[in-house]
Formats: sequence, structure tokens, C-alpha cells
Amino acid sequence: MILHIIALAAIIATAVLAIEFKDLLISTAMLAAMSLVLSLEFYLLQAPDVAITEAAVGACLSTAIFIIAIKKTARYENEAC
Amino acid sequence: MNGSSTIVKVVSLAIILPALTFGLYIIAHGHLTPGGGFQGGAIIASAFALFLVAFDKQASKTLRKNLLSALECLALLGFIGLSFFGLGKSFFFNFLANSGLIFGQAVPFGPNPGFINTAGVIPLMNFLVGLEVSCALTIIVLTMLKAGGDKK
Amino acid sequence: MKLAKIAFFLIFTYFLLACALLLRPFGKPIVSDMDEYFILNAQRESASNNVVASIVFDYRGLDTLGEATVLFAAVSSIVLLFRGVSK
Repeated sequence: MILHIIALAAIIATAVLAIEFKDLLISTAMLAAMSLVLSLEFYLLQAPDVAITEAAVGACLSTAIFIIAIKKTARYENEAC
Repeated sequence: MNGSSTIVKVVSLAIILPALTFGLYIIAHGHLTPGGGFQGGAIIASAFALFLVAFDKQASKTLRKNLLSALECLALLGFIGLSFFGLGKSFFFNFLANSGLIFGQAVPFGPNPGFINTAGVIPLMNFLVGLEVSCALTIIVLTMLKAGGDKK
Repeated sequence: MKLAKIAFFLIFTYFLLACALLLRPFGKPIVSDMDEYFILNAQRESASNNVVASIVFDYRGLDTLGEATVLFAAVSSIVLLFRGVSK
């Protein structure tokens, strides 16, 4: 029960941090951390299939795609590209 | 772009091969342990994405888009064709289970140590779906990496 | 106006708390006929130890076919979208 509360609080904290940062690279890292804690929560809820999928797709592939898109366009939110 | 630094290349090489092996293990044991075709294919595609990001020039020669797209279409067609083989009873019928042929051993009820030679068409479908998913996700990363130019 | 906002906030918070307290306990569904059938018969009918794999690839195979088709359509549309700007 304590682990559930810690994991849910960490998910909300990293999601709020991902919105608040103006540097999009740090926001992408925060989204990857949120996916990792979410896969831990799925594992605690006894769904290992969904946990493996979330860790592979959410924390690795979508982060790679976001970083490639940031490299092609602009890094900061207010910057005109 | 002068390519990645030496630290990035060495650490990527230390991660890529265990990740590929883990993905193949997840696909091959899909009918015994948690996981299956989609999960193993996603792990293999993430290893290929790391390979593409770290070794830009060499990876473009190895992973070509025509080869990957041909493999993806062949895997999807094989998956659909394998499901048509059970059409004597119904679509997606498991015609190899308990038949004594390849992957045809029967399983005792209840907890058992897990035999690799069971489960009928499920391991074949796991392999085909894993091939399709890994090729598809690698094509997405490869296409987005090749598009346009870098920001000056 | 401000009073209305505070009243809405309190009512909505009470609604969420009541929903959270009235949930049924974890792992105890009301209707479990299909679960019992799958757990009792999956090892005999499809000869697989992993019941989730036997549901995904054997009992509900059309779902997996639709999922693979969705992935194929996504890849086709991405290649179609980036066809003009590739190097």
C-alpha cells in the first residue's frame, strides 16, 4: 500500500514537472521518468505484460522520437524556428 | 554532424547485444512466461533505435528501409495465412495443439515446469508478430531520422 | 461568482472521495464466469501454460489481427507523410 502511494505521487510530480519546464529536452526526460514509474505501478498491480510494453515503448521509443524531433526543430518553447 | 563520441559508442555496444538477446528470449518463451510477440518486438526495436542514434553512418548501411519493409509485409502475410490454415473448424483455430506434430505436445493440468514443445501455433504466431512489430517500429525511427535537415 | 466556484469545488471533491471509498476491493470482480472457464480449460484446449497468450492468439485472434493492421497503417502513413523531405 505504501509503495502504491509513493509510485502514484511520483507519477503526478513528474507529469507536473514535464509541463512546467521551458527546456523541451528536460521535459522529454521527465516524460521518460513518468513512463518508468508507471511501468513499476503496472508491475505492482500484477500485470507484467503491460509493464514490459510500457517500459519499452513509453520510456525508450517515444523518447527517441521526441529527441529526434527536438533536434530537427527548436529546443526552447519561446524560440521561433 | 561528426558522429557520436567514444563514450556513447562503447556504452551503446555494451547495451545493444544484451537487449537483443532479451528480446529474442521474450519472443521465444512467449507461451510459457509473461510477454509475447508485441513486447519482444518493442524491446528489439528499442535496441535498433539505440544502434541508429549512436552509429549513424554504419547503421544506415546495415538497416535499409526496403529490406525492413519487405520483412514486415512478409510477416504480416504469414500471420494471416497461418490463421487461414485452421479454417476446417474456424478462423484462428489452433490446429497444431495436442496433435503430436511440431509444438504439439500435450500439457498436464495445473502447475508444471513448462515445456518448450507445446502450445501449437502460438509460438509461430509469436515469432511472426515479433518480426512485424520490430520492423515497423524501426521503420518509424529510421524515417524520422532521415527526414529534413538539421537546425543550423 | 467566487462562492459558486468554491461550492462546485467542494461538491466535486466530495464526489471523487465518495467514488474512491465506494470502489469494490482489489481482485474481486462481480461476474467471473469467463475467467473460471479460461483458467480451467486453457491448458487443455490450447496446450499453453500462459493463459494470456492463449487468449490473445487463440480465443481472441481477430483482436491481434486488427492490432497488427493498425500498426501497418501507422507505418504506411508515416512513410507517406515524410516522402518529400527525405534525404
